[in-house]
Amino acid sequence: MRILFLSSSTTNLVVAIIIDGKIAYQNINNYNQDMSSHIMVVLDEAFKTANIRPEELDKIMVTNGPGSFTGIRIGLSVAKTMAYALNIPVIPISTLEMLASGSNEKVVSLIDARRGYVYAGGYDEKLNNFMSDAYVLLDKVKDYHLVSEDNFAFALIKPKYDILKIVNKHINEDGVNPHLLNPNYLKETEAESKLHHD
Amino acid sequence: MKILAIETSCDETSMSVIEDGTKELATTVLSQMDTHALFGGVVPEIASRMHIENITIVLDETLKKAGLELADIDAFAVTYGPGLIGSLLVGLMCAKTLAYIYNKPLIPVHHIAGHIYANNLEKPLEFPLLALVVSGGHTELVYMKDHYDFEVLGSTLDDAVGEAYDKVARVINVPYPGGPLVDKLAHQGKDTYDLPTPLNDDSYNFSFSGLKSAVINLVHKEKQNNREIIAENMACSFQNRVVDILTKKTINAASKLGIKNLIVAGGVAANSGLRESLSISCQKNNIDLIIPDLKRCTDNAAMIGAAAYYAYKKGDIAGLKLNARASIPLK
Repeated sequence: MRILFLSSSTTNLVVAIIIDGKIAYQNINNYNQDMSSHIMVVLDEAFKTANIRPEELDKIMVTNGPGSFTGIRIGLSVAKTMAYALNIPVIPISTLEMLASGSNEKVVSLIDARRGYVYAGGYDEKLNNFMSDAYVLLDKVKDYHLVSEDNFAFALIKPKYDILKIVNKHINEDGVNPHLLNPNYLKETEAESKLHHD
Repeated sequence: MKILAIETSCDETSMSVIEDGTKELATTVLSQMDTHALFGGVVPEIASRMHIENITIVLDETLKKAGLELADIDAFAVTYGPGLIGSLLVGLMCAKTLAYIYNKPLIPVHHIAGHIYANNLEKPLEFPLLALVVSGGHTELVYMKDHYDFEVLGSTLDDAVGEAYDKVARVINVPYPGGPLVDKLAHQGKDTYDLPTPLNDDSYNFSFSGLKSAVINLVHKEKQNNREIIAENMACSFQNRVVDILTKKTINAASKLGIKNLIVAGGVAANSGLRESLSISCQKNNIDLIIPDLKRCTDNAAMIGAAAYYAYKKGDIAGLKLNARASIPLK
């Protein structure tokens, strides 16, 4: 089984190729918000290093949110297009689950959503979800063991990534048709909130 | 050469397959206009969200209409700017992924070049030509010596003409998108309001924000004095100033450069006032006027596919690092 794992919804671009349960390529890199320039270059390096062609992939896993709206869409546009072209399923992964993947205990992973809000989701060491991903006030989750890439006013743990753990957990999922794969922003646009509250 | 072109620079998700820059094999345009109308204008984040939801659906539909498979495509083209950055990125990533998987050329196309080449799908462009590009985001006068050779003679210094239309529409209570309705109202009204002719000089630049402000101020003043605004007359007065200056500067440029081919492109090319005025002036000055079919005036990928063929012949091929650009000059 050959799997491409892709995430561009946080400050890090994560690209990995897993072949028969082993990591054949992994790159986790902060490209200073310039995901769009680098993503295809890194993918090309990934396929070359793993020594497979895109059409040999069986499945794609991609984080579909929460996170940077533009970042989510960059990864999804690549994943949806690739899955459509190669006629393979794509499995959406929570960005918060990815951030929790390197922990050996129950953690709540956070992404800064500004103005005192965060995107937060709770995962145990086996990546079972004990608190659903949500857009909440930071104060509501402060008492948990927290991991985040973002900087907050208090110290928290920087996430480690265990891509193999995520892949192993989801490997038997059927995934979705790429047409139906959509971002999970967890937050409506400001224009919509305004319209709904007027 | 079959080019699959992608256009997502604003609020239309569009793809097209164009053969040799002239033959349209299939085009899909998914407009988000009804959604943005709820907000009185294009909301960039909503536009981006709708593009990502529809990108592969539009791709699939376009290929089916053309009776082709991705493997039959010789090159992939995409609008990389100017436009809304979040929207552009959705189409750009799709195009880059396809070009990468199929190992085919990736052709970056400037949105304005696309608008100009919309005309090539109706009748091959003849050079030298002058192109007046007028839309919600652009107002430019472009000189072309030959294929894919652009010299921008002048452009707007502030608002694009379509933008001014939408803002004026709002002030006189015409719903979004205001342009077509203001055009319609203008034909029912009279030129009774004293509005300035904007940037009436010898340059080829345009300015519409002063005219727009004049309309807004006048409407406020009339309201304060409890006088009713006659929307038809305001539309007519505004449209006359816009059309007059666009016509005057375009014809001046054509005469000075001795150009006999004028093409009009972009969403505002659908404006009937502008079409009438230009066709009268062109006839007088013995200039051949080409205005595309209405469906080719607004944003669509067919025009991108047409332009891409000539961009490719000129050697415009992008690498995997190609990025989207919110603003970028036409060269």
